[in-house]
Amino acid sequence: MRFPWSQRAEAEAVRDDGGVAINVKGLRKTFGDFVAVNDVDLAVGRGEIFGFLGPNGSGKTTTIRMLCGTIEATGGSAKIMGYDIETEADKVRLNIGYMSQKFSLFSDLTVDENLRFYAGIYGLTDEKFIERRAYILKMADLEGREDELTKNLSVGWKQRLALGCATIHEPKLIFLDEPTSGVDPNARRQFWELLNELASQGVTLFVTTHYMDEATHCNRLAFIYRGDIIAEGTPQEIKSALSADTILQIEVADGESALAELLKHPMVDEGYMQGSLLNINLGHNSASDADIPGYLKKAGFDLLHIEPVEPTLEDAFVHLVGQQGGRA
Amino acid sequence: MRRIWAITRKEFIHVIRDPRLLMVILAMPLIQLFLYSYALSFDVKHLPTATLDFDRTTQSRQYLDALQQSNYFTINQRLDSYSGVDKAFESNSDKVVVVVGSGFGSNLAAGRAGNVQILVDGSDANSAQLGRGYSSALSRVYGGKVVVSQVEAKGFSTGSLASLGSNTRVWYNPEGKSAAYYVPGLIVVLVTTVLVLQTANTLVKEREMGTYEQLLVSPIRKIELMLGKIAPWALVGALQIILISTIGIVVFQIPFRGSLLLLTVSSLLYVSCALGMGLIISARASSVDSANQLAGLIAFLPTFMLSGFVFPISSMPWALQAVSYAFPGRYFMVITRTIFLKGGGLEVLWPQMLALTIFAVTIITLAASMYRERA
Amino acid sequence: MSWNRIRLLIWKEFTQLRRDRSMLPILFIMPIIMLLMFGYVVGSDIKNLKLAVLDSDNSAQSQRVVDAFVSSSYFTVAARPQNEAQLKEALDGGQAAIAIDIPKGLSDAVREHRSAQIGVVVDGSDSRTSQVALQYSSGILSSLGAEFYPRPGGLSAGGVNVQTRIFYNPTLRAVNTMVPALLAFILLMSTTNIMSQAIVKEREQGTLEQLFVTPIGRTDYLLGKVLPYIGVAFVQVTVIFVVGVLWFQVPFKGSLWVIFGGLMLFMLAAIGIGMLVSLMSGSRQQAQQTSQLLQMPQMMLSGFMFPIDAFPVWLYYATYLIPLRYILVIVRSNFLKGSSFSELWPQFAAMAVFSVAIFLLGLSRFHKRLAD
Repeated sequence: MRFPWSQRAEAEAVRDDGGVAINVKGLRKTFGDFVAVNDVDLAVGRGEIFGFLGPNGSGKTTTIRMLCGTIEATGGSAKIMGYDIETEADKVRLNIGYMSQKFSLFSDLTVDENLRFYAGIYGLTDEKFIERRAYILKMADLEGREDELTKNLSVGWKQRLALGCATIHEPKLIFLDEPTSGVDPNARRQFWELLNELASQGVTLFVTTHYMDEATHCNRLAFIYRGDIIAEGTPQEIKSALSADTILQIEVADGESALAELLKHPMVDEGYMQGSLLNINLGHNSASDADIPGYLKKAGFDLLHIEPVEPTLEDAFVHLVGQQGGRA
Repeated sequence: MRRIWAITRKEFIHVIRDPRLLMVILAMPLIQLFLYSYALSFDVKHLPTATLDFDRTTQSRQYLDALQQSNYFTINQRLDSYSGVDKAFESNSDKVVVVVGSGFGSNLAAGRAGNVQILVDGSDANSAQLGRGYSSALSRVYGGKVVVSQVEAKGFSTGSLASLGSNTRVWYNPEGKSAAYYVPGLIVVLVTTVLVLQTANTLVKEREMGTYEQLLVSPIRKIELMLGKIAPWALVGALQIILISTIGIVVFQIPFRGSLLLLTVSSLLYVSCALGMGLIISARASSVDSANQLAGLIAFLPTFMLSGFVFPISSMPWALQAVSYAFPGRYFMVITRTIFLKGGGLEVLWPQMLALTIFAVTIITLAASMYRERA
Repeated sequence: MSWNRIRLLIWKEFTQLRRDRSMLPILFIMPIIMLLMFGYVVGSDIKNLKLAVLDSDNSAQSQRVVDAFVSSSYFTVAARPQNEAQLKEALDGGQAAIAIDIPKGLSDAVREHRSAQIGVVVDGSDSRTSQVALQYSSGILSSLGAEFYPRPGGLSAGGVNVQTRIFYNPTLRAVNTMVPALLAFILLMSTTNIMSQAIVKEREQGTLEQLFVTPIGRTDYLLGKVLPYIGVAFVQVTVIFVVGVLWFQVPFKGSLWVIFGGLMLFMLAAIGIGMLVSLMSGSRQQAQQTSQLLQMPQMMLSGFMFPIDAFPVWLYYATYLIPLRYILVIVRSNFLKGSSFSELWPQFAAMAVFSVAIFLLGLSRFHKRLAD
C-alpha cells in the first residue's frame, strides 16, 4: 500500500542557539491559587540526557507540557531548540518528539498504521518513511508484526513502538515523561540502551522518572519539589552534597518498627526503607558516637547486619526533601 | 457471601463517587416525572388559528368567540382572503384557519344552516387530527345552541329535537390526570433504561480496564462476581421504583388501588429481567461504545416504543405487535398500570405475571451461562 | 491548517471505525430501526381500538350502533360482555380499551322520537387512546343521531354546517410528520453522541495529548474529527430520506437545498454540543451519561413527539432554547408544504444564532482545555 498523501518534509534546520537545547527562564504555572511550577530556570545542553526528577504531583508533567506547548505558561519564557514556546509553537513542535507514560498509540490501529499516521503528521516523504519505518521496526524488534493491532502487543513492545512513533521525524530533542513506568526490568534496561544510542547520535533527551537507578544514566539532573527546583547538577554533584554525612545501612528483623524507633534517636537526621534494608543518615555525627547497635539492642531489636555506605541518589533526595519539609 | 459483599461495596463506592451517575439515576427520573406529569401530553390546546370571516356579522363574531373561548384555539390573526391561507400555513404562524362563509349570519337567522369551512395544516398529524375533532365538535355545539334558541323562539317544544347523546365515563382516571397515565409507565421505562445500561457498562468497562482479570485470579468465583456486580443495581432499581411510586402517590395524588405484594413480586421479576439483559449485552459487546449502543437498541427503544407506554400497541402493524411480545417491558407495563389505576389482582394479571416469570427465568439462565462461557 | 494532515486524520478515524466490529453495523442499522420505530409506532394512527359491546337492547337500532363503530375502522369488537360486571372485567383485564353500553329501550326511544343515550366507557389509564377514542365515538354517535332522528320540516337545515379540509397531508398519516423530523434527530444523535465519545476515547488513551505535541493544530484536529462523523451522519440522513420517500411514501414537496442548508446549520449546533459534552466528561461513560441527560429534554420538548402548543407557558418559553425545535419546523414545513426560505427565515435566523453561539462556545472551550 502506497501512502496516498505524501508531502515534502517540513522540518527546518534547527536554529542555532549556542549549543543549548532547552533554555527556561522563570517559567511559572498556576491553577487558581495553587502554584504548580514556581519560577523555574533550566538550561539543557545539546546531546545531554537530562533527568528531571521529583515525587508525584511536584510539577514534572506540568513543566513538560508547557515546554511541549500543550498548555500555556502563566509566566516566564522558554526556548526550545532556539524557538520560543509561546510565539513559535509550530516550529517547536516540528523539532521535538514526545512520549508519555501512557504510550499514546492508537490501540485499534496496526503497528504499520500507527507509523504511517505519525509519518504523515510530520510530513515525511515516501522514501524517508520507508527508511525510518525499517529502522524503527528493527529498533523496536517489531519486524514481522507490522500488521498486528497495537492493543495486542506486550507492554515492552508498545513502549518501544511509542518511542519509534515519537522519533519518526528524527527530532533533535525528545521529551520522555515517565517512559518506563509499568515496564519490567529487562525491558527497562533495553529501553535505556535505545536512549543511550539516541544520545550518542547527538539527540537531546529530557526524561522524567521516579526510578533512582535510572537517574544515574543521566548526564545531569534537576530535582523538582512542590514546584521548585531544589537541586541541579551531575549525579556526582548531587550526591556530593552528602559526602560529609555518615550513612548506615542496617539489616534488622522488623524493619518498620526499628525505623520508627531509630527516628527518635537524637543523632539520626533521616531514615527510610530501601527494600528490606534500612538506611539512616547521621549527618556529621560519627557512627561510634551514635552507637546504633546498642540503641537497637536496648529497644529489643535483633540487629543482623550494619555497615556504613556511600551516599546514593536516593539518600540525596530524601535529604533534600527533608530539608524542604523542615523549611516549610 | 463475604466476597459478594466486597464486590458490592466496591460497586457502590463507584456510584457514590460519580456525581454524574447519581444525576442520571436520581435526577433523570425526577425530571421526567415532572415533565410527564405537568407538561407533556398529546392533547392540544391553544392551537394557533387564523380566521377568514367573509360574513362579518354579530353571529359570525359570536361563533368565532366561542371557538376562542374553548381554549383549544388561539386566534392570532384575521385574514382578508384565501390567498393568506397558504402563507399562514407555510410560515407556520397558524395550524388552523376557520373560514366563515358569507351569509352565515343571515342563514342562521333564517333557520338555515350557516356554512363554515375549517382548514387544517396536516403536516403535524396529531395536532391536525385533534384540531379537526375539536373544531367540528365546538361548531356542532354552537349550532345546536342556536337551533335550540330558535326553536324555543318559534314556540316549538324542544322535545321535538331528539338526539342521540352519549353518557361518557372515563374509568380509572376520571380527571384525566397526565400523572396517572404516565407514572406507572415511567417506572417501567426508567428502570429498564438505567439498569440495562449500567449493568452492561460496568462489566465491559472492567474488562477494558483489565481490572476484571485481576478479580478473576482472586479466589472469587465468577458467579459471585456476577452477583456482586449486579446487586447494587438491583437495589438502585428497587429504590427507583419506590421513589417514583411515592412521589406519584404523594405529590401527584395518583391512586394506588391494587396489591402492594403483587407490585413487589412483579417488580422483582422485572428487575431480574433488566439485569439479565444487561449481563447478556456485556457478554456480547466488544467495547463500552457498542455496549451503550446495544443497550439503547435492546433496552430503551423497545421499552419506550413497543411497551404501550405512550403509543397504543393495538394500532401498530401486526409485525411490530408480534415483536412487542418479545420484550418483557410490555407485560410489566400492563401490570403496573393495572395495579395502580385499576386495582386488578392476580385474577386478571396472571397471564402477564406468567409471561414475566418465564422471561425472568430464561433471561437469567441465559445470562449466567453466557457469562460463564464468555466473560 | 493543513489539508494533508486533515486527510490523514480522516483516514485514521475511518480505519478505527472499521475496526470496531460492533460499532459499524450499529451506525447503519440505527437509522433503519429508528425509521421503523418512529415510522410505524409513533407514526401509527390510532385505530383498531379494542371495543367491548354490552348490548341490552338487541334490536336493529342497537345493531346499527355497533356497525357504525366497526365500520369506522377505528374500533374492532373484542368482547361482548353480558352485564356490567363482565364489562368491568373486560376493561380491568385490558381486553378492551373502550366499551359501549347500549341501554334497553333504545329502539323504543328512536321509534317514539325521544332522545336516547349510549353509555361510553373509556379506559383512562392510557391517555392518548382514551382521548382519541372519545373523539371518535362522539363523532360516530352524532352522525348516527342525524340518521336516527330526521328533523321535522323547516328545522332540518338549522345549525352550523362544517366542512373540513386538511392541507398537505389529507389522510393525516402520522408517518408523514415523523420522517422529516427524523432527518434532524438522527443528525443530532450521531454527531453529539458518537463524536463526543470518539474525542473522550482519544483523551482516555492519551493519544490526544500526543497529537498536540505534533504539528497538528487544534483546527486540523477538530476538522479531522468532525468531517468523518458528518460523513456518517449524511449517509444516515440519506438512508432515512430515501426509505421515507420510497417505502413510507412520504410526499416530498420541498427543496433539497432548503433541507440541506437547514441541516448543515443545525449540524454546527450539534457539533458544538458534542464538543461541550466531550469537554465536560472525563470518561466515555460520563460522556454517554451527559449526552443522555442533554438528549432527553431535547427529544421531549422540541416538538419531536409532543405538541408544544399545549405546554404550560413557562415550559413553552423554555422550548425556544432548544435548537432542535427550529430545525424541526424547517424540515417538516419544507418537506411537506414546500415552505421556502422566505417563509422559514425566522427559524433559520434563530437557528443561526444558536448554532453559531453554541459552536463558538464549544470551539473556544475546546481550544482552551482539550488536553488538560
